[in-house]
Amino acid sequence: MRILLTTALLVLSAYAVAQDDFGPRGPVVTMAPAAVVTAVQGKPATATLEFHVASGYHINSNMPKTEFLIPTVLKIDAATDIVIGKTTYPDGVDQSFPFDPDEKLNVYTGDFKVDVLVRPLHSVQPGKYAFRGILKYQACDNKACYPPKQLPVTFDVKIARAPRTPGRNPAQSPDAHQ
Amino acid sequence: MKKNPLILFFIAAIVAAMLITGIRIARNNRANSGGTGQLIGNLAPDFTLQTIDGKPLKLSDLRGKAVLLNFWATFCEPCKVEMPWFVELQKEYGPQGFQIVGVANDDASSDEISKFAKNMGINYPILIGKDSVSDTYNVSVLPTTYFVDRDGKLIAREFGLQSRSVFVDHIKKALSQGQAVQARR
Repeated sequence: MRILLTTALLVLSAYAVAQDDFGPRGPVVTMAPAAVVTAVQGKPATATLEFHVASGYHINSNMPKTEFLIPTVLKIDAATDIVIGKTTYPDGVDQSFPFDPDEKLNVYTGDFKVDVLVRPLHSVQPGKYAFRGILKYQACDNKACYPPKQLPVTFDVKIARAPRTPGRNPAQSPDAHQ
Repeated sequence: MKKNPLILFFIAAIVAAMLITGIRIARNNRANSGGTGQLIGNLAPDFTLQTIDGKPLKLSDLRGKAVLLNFWATFCEPCKVEMPWFVELQKEYGPQGFQIVGVANDDASSDEISKFAKNMGINYPILIGKDSVSDTYNVSVLPTTYFVDRDGKLIAREFGLQSRSVFVDHIKKALSQGQAVQARR
């Protein structure tokens, strides 16, 4: 038992030594695995993407109030037959930091979610579609800032067949003749 | 085979010691090297960059002056906090042969950087940075500030926002070291 405790203490010491260097050791922002979004042909659905900002850091919101600050922006690659609609960002939090207690910046810290509207066309084939994109952000801590980064983003959309409208003959539909 | 607790303890201790040493060596190498060896204590790697006015500025042309080399960016709020101090320090120590040089490590346009510098009332040259220079100077954090003595030797480096007194101490040290020759610029 004593051996285990000693080893744990030594490893923790080494870890602490590793942490006292300046700057983040890994990515400041990470994305939680996204749940598969289910959408029906021709009907919009929302993909909610969950991100986490590492403790001790902040990133600018999508609408930073101060000139020259780099906003957090999500860019999703365009797909065929599924239109990417509006991206909805959460409001940032006005917060001041030790480097300038008099100025409040509009930032994201901790967890935040971004909603992406997906609009499958009527013609899209049922199945699972993978979307890729990037979250552009620029992080700072209480003492310094770090160059802008791009976090790869992925999520899946499962397209289900639209239910047939009962009692309607497609051949007589006005749409069929347009 | 029965395991001797004492041997296990020594193995664990040696492994942890090697881990700590390895981390420290790796960190020192990362912090001090520009890919060609240690930076602090050696001549500042030379470079020529364009000022926001479009004029070239070569670092070694400032030989004979003490230089504060500040890597910053328009998006960096802590950098903004230091700048008014730099303006004052340039006025205060400039007559003694001190020169601040700002290097904008930024994707912003030259016009935006100029506008920013004008808003801040900057009274020292601002250069448009290049990755090759920031890589050489190991700039992964903004602000990063180096202090160069009159002989062109790097004597100190600070990562992140520092107190004004830290800058003053380094400036005094940089001014006191090396030969005060007539700088070419």
